[in-house]
Amino acid sequence: MKKPITLLLSLLLLASMIAAGCVSTKQSPATQTTQTESKEVNIYTARHYPGVDDAIYKAFTDKTGIKVNIIKAGGEELIQRIKTEGNSSKADIYITSDAGNLYIAKQAGLLQPITSPILEKNIPANFIDKDKMWVGLTMRARVLVYAKDRVSKDELSTYEDLTNAKWKGKVLTRSSNNIYSQSMLASFIEINGEAKAKEWAKGIVNNLAMQPEGGDRDQAKAVAAGKGDVAIMNSYYLGQMLNSKDPQEVKAAEKLGVFFPNQNTTGTHVNVSGAGIVKTSKNVANAVKLLEFLSEAEAQKTFAEASTEYPVNPAVEPSDLLKSWGTFKKQNISLSKLGENNKRAVQIFDEVGWK
Amino acid sequence: MKRLQNIITETNVWSLLAFAVVAATVIPAVNIVFGVITNETENWLHIKQYLLKDYIVNTAILFAFSGFFASFIGVSLAYLVTVFDFPFRRFFKWALILPLSIPAYIGAYTYSGMLSYTGVITNFLAWASGKMIFIDIMSMPGAIFVFTFFLFPYVYIISRAFLAKYTASLIESARMLGKDYTQIFFSVILPVSRGVIAAGSALVLMEVANDYGVVSYFGINTFSVAIFKVWFGMGDISSAARLCVYSMGFIILIMLAEKVVRGQKRFAIATSKVRVLTPQPLPNTKALAACFYCFAVFCLGFLIPLFQLVAWAYMTYEEVLDPSFLEATVNTVVAAVVCAVIIVCCAILITNSARISRSRFAKIASRLTAVGYSAPGAVISIGVLILFMWLNDFTESFWSFSIITSAYMLFFAYIVRFLAVGCSSLESGFEKIGKTYFEASRTLGFGVTRTFFKVDFKMIIPSLIGACSLVFVDMVKELPLTLILRPFNYNTLATKIYEYAHDERIQHSAPAALIIIAICSISVYYLSRVERE
Repeated sequence: MKKPITLLLSLLLLASMIAAGCVSTKQSPATQTTQTESKEVNIYTARHYPGVDDAIYKAFTDKTGIKVNIIKAGGEELIQRIKTEGNSSKADIYITSDAGNLYIAKQAGLLQPITSPILEKNIPANFIDKDKMWVGLTMRARVLVYAKDRVSKDELSTYEDLTNAKWKGKVLTRSSNNIYSQSMLASFIEINGEAKAKEWAKGIVNNLAMQPEGGDRDQAKAVAAGKGDVAIMNSYYLGQMLNSKDPQEVKAAEKLGVFFPNQNTTGTHVNVSGAGIVKTSKNVANAVKLLEFLSEAEAQKTFAEASTEYPVNPAVEPSDLLKSWGTFKKQNISLSKLGENNKRAVQIFDEVGWK
Repeated sequence: MKRLQNIITETNVWSLLAFAVVAATVIPAVNIVFGVITNETENWLHIKQYLLKDYIVNTAILFAFSGFFASFIGVSLAYLVTVFDFPFRRFFKWALILPLSIPAYIGAYTYSGMLSYTGVITNFLAWASGKMIFIDIMSMPGAIFVFTFFLFPYVYIISRAFLAKYTASLIESARMLGKDYTQIFFSVILPVSRGVIAAGSALVLMEVANDYGVVSYFGINTFSVAIFKVWFGMGDISSAARLCVYSMGFIILIMLAEKVVRGQKRFAIATSKVRVLTPQPLPNTKALAACFYCFAVFCLGFLIPLFQLVAWAYMTYEEVLDPSFLEATVNTVVAAVVCAVIIVCCAILITNSARISRSRFAKIASRLTAVGYSAPGAVISIGVLILFMWLNDFTESFWSFSIITSAYMLFFAYIVRFLAVGCSSLESGFEKIGKTYFEASRTLGFGVTRTFFKVDFKMIIPSLIGACSLVFVDMVKELPLTLILRPFNYNTLATKIYEYAHDERIQHSAPAALIIIAICSISVYYLSRVERE
């Protein structure tokens, strides 16, 4: 009488066993690391340059014999995962593409101080957290991208100038939900004070050519299309468009110029992608080794060029494309401030109605 | 007292097991909702002051229009291909399910690529008209368009199966009474199929509710964007939980509406012989119009994005394709097959026990599965993680096995997420066969379990296959859960797409997207073949 239901149950059990079998071979290495110091290191990363990052990790494995296990997801979600996993977390290194997230991870008590003379030698002090909780790996600049046929370089000067009435209906930028926008406003809060920063955000909203939508590339395309004249965006997206296989994208990007704002005043806003070692890490030595490897010239070159970013190691030259855009003056603030002011920045965006 | 007695007599293996499954899947959500029982934080006051109205209005608009258009297109197409005969009918019959194989976020990226300044459509329009014409897809109407054309097959599949098998006699009677086919559609088909339409559009709306990719890319502030921002950006779980509750409120409203629409009357065909509908040939112009309508929908929902993806894939495949693609494909298919089987088994347990039990409790339980389907994936994943942390203490101390880095956690999350899809398809299957056979069998002395396997099971096989393939397709496309909960070095095709799309290199994600579409298409084609037999 009860036979069919047992059949159903055993079918369920069988299915779950198959499920386990399929993946158990893959997850075993990660679990073994709980034992003594092993030849492995586990990374939770929000950097996604498939192929390139993987190739660097492979080079590391070839050199040291240490296997690199990776989980990739968004920066914010990974913080949440490490937080929830608590002491059981298998994560050794947390990598993300914004100083704001590094700060959040640090504030949540998820990271531990990194001691490494090699890292301190390879990476300038302003790219290292003041408590050594994280190090920068690559740098990106948030620049002005303009339509060469409608705007001359002389008309551009500062981020603040974009709030001027002459740019009414001509400015393009990204949604306030994006961490790049948030970190930029956070830097202005630090440099100019909260009141001025809010005034600036309000001024930009007044001058927007349209409601923020899409990613950074979409801003560039909108300028090329004539929907607006100037976009605030990360420089490397333009670099990627110039290197694109799609001839239409290259054509659009060629209509655009890059301008580094605030050269005579506070400097262009920069941000980093960076890494920290997780507090509960069981492979600290391996993690340090990997970070040191990433800061060395060889890895820095590929790491940064993969996404047309600037290497943080001063011994490494940026790619030819970046060099052709010239050198520039950076904001002179501790990048930790981007995180500290993040929350206030988010609130200001909402208060001034920056979607 | 009597009620308690009722509960005891109603209790059997089915209801106990069903209860266990539902409880396990609801726990992750309960974990989250508990966060609400705290005081309003500063963040919440901020949200209430500046943002809440926007979230409610945007979500409501998106729900209303996507739901309406998806239902209309779904039902009207189902009616056309089942009742009439016109050129390519047999092809459209299954091809119109294909838009389901394109994840909505891929659809959004593809369309915005084609309509951007460098896009093929913009360039074509510029060439044809001599001036630049821009269609702004990244807007509310754009989002409604994307959800409508990539989600309408939910309504189409469910209502087509229903129309094909159970309305032949109704249509014939209506014809004899002198009604024309338009009148039949509005006065016969719509009323009798409102239950299945409601079930289908509920699926559409739940997909819309948990979507994050499309709305965040288009810059539309809905609840799922808000939850993400508050939780992951501001680190404020309790405000995020509040938003979740609001968002769930929408879903509950929808489910109530569905109940009202279905009404108290249960519609079941009580004849043992199911009449098969013979499609009526259409006169030339009308046949052409029908053909054109099907083709237009098929183009917008499948063919156009497909061509664009093929073009992009051709551009980038050399850079992108490597052995890891094969591994990701295998991972995707294995996870989808295994979980589809488990989910359908669980769904049988739940829907059958809800059907045979008279207690309100069992019926509520089956509704609860919707929780996992309608909450944003990121939220569910953290709920699952909290649950597994608790289990992890046991597994690590007893077997030194870390369950949080295993695929068990991911698979469990899949079940939480998609159980509602399985339940929904099976429920409409059970509804069709009604309870007559079940009651007869019980009267003749068979037990509940035996009745199910000897009597009901064979009748719901088509629904079972339908449920399986729907869940399979959903699983293949799944992204947020996989992203957050996957074990080390575990990739699926969807995560491959994410890695490129996140970096705004949509062209590079095209090869993986095409493999997903191919796998889903095979499943859809197989489904239609089984149906035909």
